Amino acid sequence: MSRSGRLAALAAALLLAVPATDIIFANPSSLVDSPGNLLTFHARFSGPEIARILQHGPWPVAAQRDPSNRVSGLPEAIAFGKVLFFEKRLSGNGGSSCATCHLPELDFTDGKARGEGFVLLDRNTPGLLDVRLNRWFGWDGAADSLWAQSLRPIVDRREMAASTTHVGALVRSDPELVAGYRKAFGVPPSGDDEVTLNVGKALAAFQETLESGRTPFDDFRDAVERGDSQAAMRYPAAAQRGLKIFVGKGNCSTCHFGPNFTNGEFGDIGIPYFVAPGQVDPGRYGGIQKLLESRANLLGKYSDDPARSSAAGTRHVRLEHRNWGEFRVPSLRNVAKTAPYMHNGHLATLRDVVRHYSNLNEDRLHADGEKILRPLKLSAAEEDDLVAFLESLTPSHPGSY
Amino acid sequence: MKTILAGLLFALGAATAASAAELQIFDAHLHYSHDAWETVPPKDAIALLRKAGLRRALVSSSNDDGNQKLFAEAPDLILPSLRPYRTRGEISSWFRDDSVITYMEQRLARHTYVAIGEFHLFGADAELPVPRRMVQLARQYKLLLHAHSDADAIERLFKQWPEARILWAHSGFDQPDRLREMLKKHKNLWCDLAFRTDHGSGGKIGPEWRAVFLEFPDRFMVGTDSYTPERWPYVVEHANWSRAWMKDLPPEVAERIAYRNGEAVFGGPMQKKK
Repeated sequence: MSRSGRLAALAAALLLAVPATDIIFANPSSLVDSPGNLLTFHARFSGPEIARILQHGPWPVAAQRDPSNRVSGLPEAIAFGKVLFFEKRLSGNGGSSCATCHLPELDFTDGKARGEGFVLLDRNTPGLLDVRLNRWFGWDGAADSLWAQSLRPIVDRREMAASTTHVGALVRSDPELVAGYRKAFGVPPSGDDEVTLNVGKALAAFQETLESGRTPFDDFRDAVERGDSQAAMRYPAAAQRGLKIFVGKGNCSTCHFGPNFTNGEFGDIGIPYFVAPGQVDPGRYGGIQKLLESRANLLGKYSDDPARSSAAGTRHVRLEHRNWGEFRVPSLRNVAKTAPYMHNGHLATLRDVVRHYSNLNEDRLHADGEKILRPLKLSAAEEDDLVAFLESLTPSHPGSY
Repeated sequence: MKTILAGLLFALGAATAASAAELQIFDAHLHYSHDAWETVPPKDAIALLRKAGLRRALVSSSNDDGNQKLFAEAPDLILPSLRPYRTRGEISSWFRDDSVITYMEQRLARHTYVAIGEFHLFGADAELPVPRRMVQLARQYKLLLHAHSDADAIERLFKQWPEARILWAHSGFDQPDRLREMLKKHKNLWCDLAFRTDHGSGGKIGPEWRAVFLEFPDRFMVGTDSYTPERWPYVVEHANWSRAWMKDLPPEVAERIAYRNGEAVFGGPMQKKK
């Protein structure tokens, strides 16, 4: 049966077969649907809304090797990268590892508004689950590969404050690291440059395996696709109503698009971005400048992809005025567990996030900028529903980490 | 490894100040609204403009108090324009709000301006009573109109006052062919290039833009559009960005677009109303 056929069958099944007592309708009269609309379980979804819902899956997305990283997907590199991820000696003073800020028990965040290295940082520590699906890395997209991004905090003086000399010496001097390196790359560690670069690639190989598990939303979405009304009915009513806002009048899914709930790009949603009096975080504007200056970008000689097949975005990206103060559109998977929110942790809770969009200050948006953004003006009940939907993006079971 | 690190370590947003030898800039599109003067006080704002190497700046604010604070701080630098908004939130409602007229009349009686704007006005809304009265006031006080409008509204404004002088904000976000048509038709129309990148992306000017710049070298100006407080530090970056793409023009054309056109249209430093 075609998808449209299955959906029609699902609608019919709902009308004819589902016991009325199992259906929670805000307004029972909504059983009589308008022509062209599909009647589903706890909320009415139009055909276009159903199509949008289906675009948010299936989950998980099949793993793909990163062609710019020759050890991507290689078990030995994944194992070595995992060791490195927790290795405090990688930092300049031996006091912090990647896992110091990306805590596995906190879904690879730190739970703080802004990260803390040797100083209080300007930005929120992003979670790492599903990071392999990013097109750009970091809140500003200054890196176009996970391996380049993985090097940045190691050598950033504010964070791990190491040097390539330090990293090279560490890996060459520790027998276990030497062994891990040799297994991953097939050669013993040699010069500082090469070792540091490969540390980034092994770290990337490990992080590519950090995948969030399936969520109640995924179960609902798949049930809709296969026309399984009983399974779909298990998705809570409030989440369904929130989903309807998300794909409907909220227009959230325009940017939080696809299986990973992000278009992978950047936006200005009216969050202040001063970091100190007179000083701003330029966001994507600075990110593009850094990316294009970086010799570690996908167009450079450190990419292992001779065809540069994954470098199209880097090749074509251009600096625009609108990029000033734009930040990456984050995935919403697992979002309930990664508070606080926004690039600088400006919003403490999911409800704060929903209220931000509900009461959006249009004064902060350029009239010819983010035209898709308008205050949603949600009722308290609608806010509850949207939060319920976002919470339903939390995995029912741990993912593969 | 220096090669990798060179690409990984950066100073954040450290825009360098303009040197004396660099092209001066007349920034024809700045706002200094209530949240800006709260976070970037007048002295700091003026310091940013001087760091950017601005020769003069056309500034408006919502409400107008910000404008006056800035003008008081640097009358040699600031050319105030009266915005018909008391808050930026009036962008889409001012043209139906009669009280805007009273506000404008009071401000015009009290302070000196070189323009009215930037205002947002599209299509037939330009025919409404409030915009019509605004045009009358501009005529009465001999002020330029700074219009964030489509071509239709620009036409309607000229119809109301054929001798009007209009600075078309963002060049209407229109394309060079359309700009050529409008500039040919209206000798008192100038275009600012604020919040546009397409004419000078990557420091290079495309053939269509080059042609219109060379055909109308006295009709374009640059501008930052500081619509949020965070965009004040961007004035410096924007001036440098503008200098970069203007290097791709003949020097005399670059000078005109950079500051001479602004000076020709708005004049030099303004005197306070006595």
